Amino acid sequence: MANNQENPETTSDLKHIFSENFTVSKRQLGIALCAIGILAFIGLLLLDLVGGGREGGIGPTQRAAIALSIVLAVFGATLIPLGDKPA
Amino acid sequence: MTKRVSVGLIGFATIILFFSFVVYCAYAYNLITFPFDYDQGEGFELVDTIMFSEFRYPYQNTEAYPYYSSNYPPLFHILAVPFVWLFGNAYWYGRLLGFVGTLISAGLIGYAVYRDGNVRWVAIFSGLAFLASNTIYHIGPLLRQHMTMVLFELMAIIIIARAFPSQNRRGIATGLLMLVAAGYTKQLAAITALAVIVWMILRNPKRGIIWSAIFAAVGLGIFAWLTFDTNGEWWRQAIVANVNQFNPFQTFDLSILWWQLHGLLIIPAVLMALYEIYVERMSLYTIWFVFAVVLGAIGSGTWGAGDSYFATAIAAMCILSGIFFSRWIRGDFTLPEHNPYSIFLKPLGTKWFIQSALVIVPLIYIGYGITTLKMPAEGAFFGTVADILRIEPNVMGRHYDSASYDVLGYANIGHFVTQEDHDAGWQIVELINASEQPVMSEEAGFSLAAGRDVITNPTQLRNLYLAGLWEGSEILADLEAQRFGLIILRAQFYPTPMLEVMGQHYGITQTIRMNGFEYLILEPT
Repeated sequence: MANNQENPETTSDLKHIFSENFTVSKRQLGIALCAIGILAFIGLLLLDLVGGGREGGIGPTQRAAIALSIVLAVFGATLIPLGDKPA
Repeated sequence: MTKRVSVGLIGFATIILFFSFVVYCAYAYNLITFPFDYDQGEGFELVDTIMFSEFRYPYQNTEAYPYYSSNYPPLFHILAVPFVWLFGNAYWYGRLLGFVGTLISAGLIGYAVYRDGNVRWVAIFSGLAFLASNTIYHIGPLLRQHMTMVLFELMAIIIIARAFPSQNRRGIATGLLMLVAAGYTKQLAAITALAVIVWMILRNPKRGIIWSAIFAAVGLGIFAWLTFDTNGEWWRQAIVANVNQFNPFQTFDLSILWWQLHGLLIIPAVLMALYEIYVERMSLYTIWFVFAVVLGAIGSGTWGAGDSYFATAIAAMCILSGIFFSRWIRGDFTLPEHNPYSIFLKPLGTKWFIQSALVIVPLIYIGYGITTLKMPAEGAFFGTVADILRIEPNVMGRHYDSASYDVLGYANIGHFVTQEDHDAGWQIVELINASEQPVMSEEAGFSLAAGRDVITNPTQLRNLYLAGLWEGSEILADLEAQRFGLIILRAQFYPTPMLEVMGQHYGITQTIRMNGFEYLILEPT
């Protein structure tokens, strides 16, 4: 898979984020996904607190979204040990 | 020995998948010769095409006669315009375009698998597996824009997957143009566009952002022009009124159904994605697959959506699973030394694992062919085949598609139409011809065949009504004054106030059965 081979000249150093050689690493992607998952999880719980007056509590859509946010956070965390390999 | 068994199994898989292809072609021919709506809404897509052929937009004000508007983007209908000029109003060319589009899509899937996998028979099976999918089968030959969107998506993905890493500007521009075409064929292509943008930015943020900005500028430029040129109706009809209610149970049902039908290819596709995520580098196919599955599944839960929302995911699944099988057969999975997850990959390096592919891969395609099998159990050819194989209908009524139609949002189509269905359609047309007043029909085909005005688009009025964008005073007054000589109902998708007024001023005089559905004929009381 030629399009999937790692280019030895790539860098994941954020100082060069807008260079032609920069590519997002698996660790950076993992941190980003983990953060998004955690923030989404907190946000979805807060949503229920803010709308506390509503009847029904956590509905099926919200439950599914919370589950998805947990999956996303855990998935992101598993990418972090992969280091600087291109995502 | 293994090779001989493998050849036998590949031969058996070929027979099953090819038989599925024959059923698909027979179904397509059967539908192409049918002159009325088969899937609710096809006729309105034909109306859009006719309007474009007359250089008119279908995005109209629904408060004035004929109260018609559309929520579909224009490209599919524009592609069919030359056929209107040549052959007049007919369903066959729209269905033919959809069908041919699926054949090209299957070819593209085969090409993508062969390009990255280099095993010819797996590439051919991947394309046939796409056509064998129950979802692709039953929506492929319809006069609907969905599968043409998938075709453009496939073109975009296959081109960009190679062009972006090699910095081939012409290739990237062509791929993104295909993506714009997909978006202006159906709004759902936004999911694929998102996947492409994310992938490009992951590969190289600078180039990814620049190309995404160019893509967005072209897409938004066309959008702004359409909005301006239709006095805002494009925005109102195709975007604002297109936001429908979400039903999580519909998403759940359809996701389960997608898994039950395609599980044998979903597993290898997921394994390929995981291998790329944890060991190699993510290809565009992997990101596309993930986005298409997650966002497509969520989208499938909205009102008016259905299993067709998995069509893009099925295309991505066929490519990824095909690449997985090809690499498995070729022993092309590397075992990285410094990878914390290498322990899970150890089986990939064993000789047994590589050799087993020649038996297991064709077995999987045989299993997939059996899981997705659908065929008529009557008729000279299919009836004989069904008798020989002892296949009995496993669903109620006429909808013999092997997927259950108890699932929310699963289209009740897939069966062949009969001469009785043709006759029933013409019977309704005769009723329209006998009426001297305008006729309101929930499906456009009858009015078009009778040469009458197509009055309203029920689902569009419903969407506008639910979005608080429909007043309807004029059409309600027409109904109250009994200005329509006939009303033909099937699914009763009209806004509630219209149905109420119909109930007060019209009565059912007869019921005509067509395609397994009851068409209610209402006349002024």
